[in-house]
Amino acid sequence: MDQQTLQYYLAVGAIMFCIGMIGFMTRRNMIVMFLCTELMFQGVAINLIAFSAWHNNFAGQAFVIYVLVIAAAEASLALGLVVLLFRQRNTLDADAWRELRG
Amino acid sequence: MGILSIAIAFPRLFSSALPGLLAAAEGSGDAPAAPPVLAPGLILAMCILAGIGTLLLLPGRRDVSFRRIGGALAASAGLIFAALLLRNYSPSGIGIYFWVFAIVAILGAMRVITHPKPVYSALYFVLTVFASAGLFVLLDAEFMAAALVVIYAGAILITYVFVIMLAAQARAPGSTAEYVSEYDTVSREPLIAAVVGFALMGILLFVIFDRGGDLARNARVAVAPNSASAKREISPTLGATQQLGIFLFQQQTVQLELAGLLLTVSMVGAIVIARKRVISPEPVHSRLAAVTLAPATPISDDPYSIPVYGTDNPRQKAYPQT
Repeated sequence: MDQQTLQYYLAVGAIMFCIGMIGFMTRRNMIVMFLCTELMFQGVAINLIAFSAWHNNFAGQAFVIYVLVIAAAEASLALGLVVLLFRQRNTLDADAWRELRG
Repeated sequence: MGILSIAIAFPRLFSSALPGLLAAAEGSGDAPAAPPVLAPGLILAMCILAGIGTLLLLPGRRDVSFRRIGGALAASAGLIFAALLLRNYSPSGIGIYFWVFAIVAILGAMRVITHPKPVYSALYFVLTVFASAGLFVLLDAEFMAAALVVIYAGAILITYVFVIMLAAQARAPGSTAEYVSEYDTVSREPLIAAVVGFALMGILLFVIFDRGGDLARNARVAVAPNSASAKREISPTLGATQQLGIFLFQQQTVQLELAGLLLTVSMVGAIVIARKRVISPEPVHSRLAAVTLAPATPISDDPYSIPVYGTDNPRQKAYPQT
């Protein structure tokens, strides 16, 4: 694996991370907001795997396993919270919880 | 679209139409080891173009034609970017599969954040997951690709789709038009988000393509001497998945157990958060006692003689007649 290959993979990961970030900032549906955080996880995972192949060891892949674990835990907890919030206000709009702003 | 196809087919021809940017791209190539693939000005221009496209593409109170223009702008930015990268194509490392998977992944990601319907966003995210699993396979991480498909596309996304269905708004009676709620069609602060996001993207791409070589080289030098414990070459006869398993269970045992513990804790937490609180009219243990202290089931061939515990509804106790 040469350096240019690494750069291309890192570019793909960076682009996906930024797209996920834009989505998290712009979307108002709480479920889609969490979907965008999963998109950011994907970008980070591509970066980690690319560096794992670059350094020729398994630390990057082990990190991706932990990222997957965190993503699964985050998804279950976040979706539980979304269901709870939906029951309270009967809408998925994140702006319905505007008064939580500091 | 004609310009785009030209840009794909003849990158050199197209980039000659941008003489200033091209001169910047080729003028800065004086680094000894590896010249930067893309000039900063070029990255900046592509990011501005893609940012304007994304801004128009994000859901909002706009005409459909504006969204089409936005989509064309963002896609053209991405394709010009890819074409410029292809210009410096090196046949050693990257094949056609990389381009296919990368373009599918990024297009899917764009659709995730721009599609007004959450279910379609989730499905486009599945597409992105598959494409990045393909990228993982290209990087010799087969186990991670399989885990990604199973965990993301199989488990997490099903949960998402399930919650989306659960929280779906009922459409108005009598109307056959598909109901899209207001908070899905109007995005929040698209201008600021696009500016910030694409500024970050530009900086990241600049660092990757301009300074990434030095950083990676330094990191490789720094890591190489003491990475004997984590080397890929545990045994030449083992596959990558086996070697990953050996690495995980020999050197990362505590972390792996902690990950399992974290999953258990989050499962308990999710159950506690999402359960519906049922106020029972009588204490739970008296009902349990009624069930456990009930007389034993009589041995008989008649199915109607089997008592049904746990309900007071006579209709549920009745044996189905059909």
